[in-house]
Amino acid sequence: MDLSHFDSNNSVSCRLASQVPDVCRTEDCCLGIDEAGRGPVLGPMVYGICFCPVSKKGELKDLKVADSKTLTEEERENLFEKIDEANSFVGWALQILSPNTISTSMLQRTKYNLNALSHDTAIGLVQYALDSGVQLKEVFVDTVGPAEKYEDKLSKLFPGIEVTVRPKADSLFPVVSAASICAKVARDRAVKGWNFQEDLGEVDADYGSGYPGDPKTKAWLQKYLDPVFGYPQFVRFSWSTAKILMDNKGVAVHWDDDEEDGEKAAQRKNNKSMLSYFSASAGGNTQNPTPQTHRFFTERRLKNLDTL
Amino acid sequence: MATKKKRTQSAHTDSWVVMAADSAIDTQKDDSDPAFVRLRNPSTDAASLYLLGSGDVQLFEVKVFEEEFHSWFVGQTVQRDGRLMFVTPMDPLYLILPYLIKSDKEGKFQPMDQVVMDEEFPACSRLLSCTCSLTSLHHVAEEKEVGDLKFHRYSQEKTLNWLKRKVERTVTALKKRHISVGEGVKSSTYVRVKSESDYNEEDYLRYAHGLISEYISEDLSKALLSHLQLPELTSPKETEPPSKKRKLSDNPVEAGEDYTKFNSADFTRKPPKKMTTAQKTLAKVDKSGMKPMSSFFSPKVKAENK
Repeated sequence: MDLSHFDSNNSVSCRLASQVPDVCRTEDCCLGIDEAGRGPVLGPMVYGICFCPVSKKGELKDLKVADSKTLTEEERENLFEKIDEANSFVGWALQILSPNTISTSMLQRTKYNLNALSHDTAIGLVQYALDSGVQLKEVFVDTVGPAEKYEDKLSKLFPGIEVTVRPKADSLFPVVSAASICAKVARDRAVKGWNFQEDLGEVDADYGSGYPGDPKTKAWLQKYLDPVFGYPQFVRFSWSTAKILMDNKGVAVHWDDDEEDGEKAAQRKNNKSMLSYFSASAGGNTQNPTPQTHRFFTERRLKNLDTL
Repeated sequence: MATKKKRTQSAHTDSWVVMAADSAIDTQKDDSDPAFVRLRNPSTDAASLYLLGSGDVQLFEVKVFEEEFHSWFVGQTVQRDGRLMFVTPMDPLYLILPYLIKSDKEGKFQPMDQVVMDEEFPACSRLLSCTCSLTSLHHVAEEKEVGDLKFHRYSQEKTLNWLKRKVERTVTALKKRHISVGEGVKSSTYVRVKSESDYNEEDYLRYAHGLISEYISEDLSKALLSHLQLPELTSPKETEPPSKKRKLSDNPVEAGEDYTKFNSADFTRKPPKKMTTAQKTLAKVDKSGMKPMSSFFSPKVKAENK
């Protein structure tokens, strides 16, 4: 697995893939999808797919792939080597979603939530396998959100493929386990050798697991908070852990799509209360006594100054 | 906009982001630095900021672009207010004019340094040292020379002609810059497909008059409007486009249906039509204890009392 491409620009999404084994283009195949790094506030989220001919499911099982969560890091690395070596019949592909991609998706004007992002990434990877000529017949997915809805969505998108969405699919189907190992290994490697784009000098790499509950992660987040910029791109800004810290310790930043309390916003926007239209005195007071600035200036937001 | 004011006030810093012509900040000709001065704004009668450059030879007005949710990154610092100041050349005559008009009540020819005096804004006398001030006074005042001294008296006729020329020049500038002057278009960033020929001359004149009015008193603005032979807009409604489609024919409008017949004495309700069998059986149903349908739509007073 060569992560150098991602390391060189880890602010965007990046795809890594193995060679597609020839048998996968001729024989009916099954495919597993799983993700790693959904919860952490630090680092990328990685989506992985693994595929092999339906007839070789047994051989995949023989590799003793199991749910990545039950394995140590070393075991995972070893298993990944085995999967990669079995390139005569097993193929894999990964989509690394950088923390920056996650932040900007979730915090953009039209919100794009993590579930939608996850679904679209999974769909993209299945499409990649199809485009590469893999004869897909079965797809197994560990669920994100309600399983039935997700299964329905995928079935509609890929007619002719039997889609199975199950919670804990990574311990039920070897092909999903294999995908989960690929994803987890990629995530571990990406986080370990994180190449900070920001000029931070020597960065303390002791950030723990990256999960919001980890005391090491919390301490690291406290340490690397910049009052103006917040965090390096390594941090998912959209996580409430990061948000709360920035709100408390950073400089207040106002955006024009900030949601404000109704009354405050109304006051700021110079809106009048609906009630004012019904009161007796409203008629006389609505006329603004100060002369209106010409629209040439108001349209361009230009004003006179009276002091510097 | 109380909150807005608070925000900008706390944001005041020692630095500003300014757009200015080189000539405004040129200190080479004479050693004096350009200076911001507070002077009486002829339109609002309150203080506004101006800049005198090159040893008071040039006058500039200061306008500021200010919109919410803007900040600057300047070098390695952040400036909280996202304001952009514009320093643009201005005709000093506009600022001198109110003083001339005020002194005209005495109806005498007077030396300018006695006319342009203001306890509130003592800096106003510096306006007279602007290059074009004394030489262009003849546009707005009658002149008399006695020996070495020059005396001036305000002339409304001259002033209105001078302002009219200003309006005309503004119209030319508006056309050149493709500024949409028609009513209805409220956004300057909205690019109209229509060519400028679609606006009539009156739209341009009115727009230019409005712009010039930003620099003169309200009375003078009204006088100028009639001098330009533009009728005064009485209600703001007139400036809005007609809300309904214009009728296509000149024939008098007739109501499609005549409702007056219901009011006439000979109008009697028709007896109800015969009920169908289904309606009959429904009518026989015991309705005691049933709520009328309308009760479900009454105000929620009852619910709140619970």
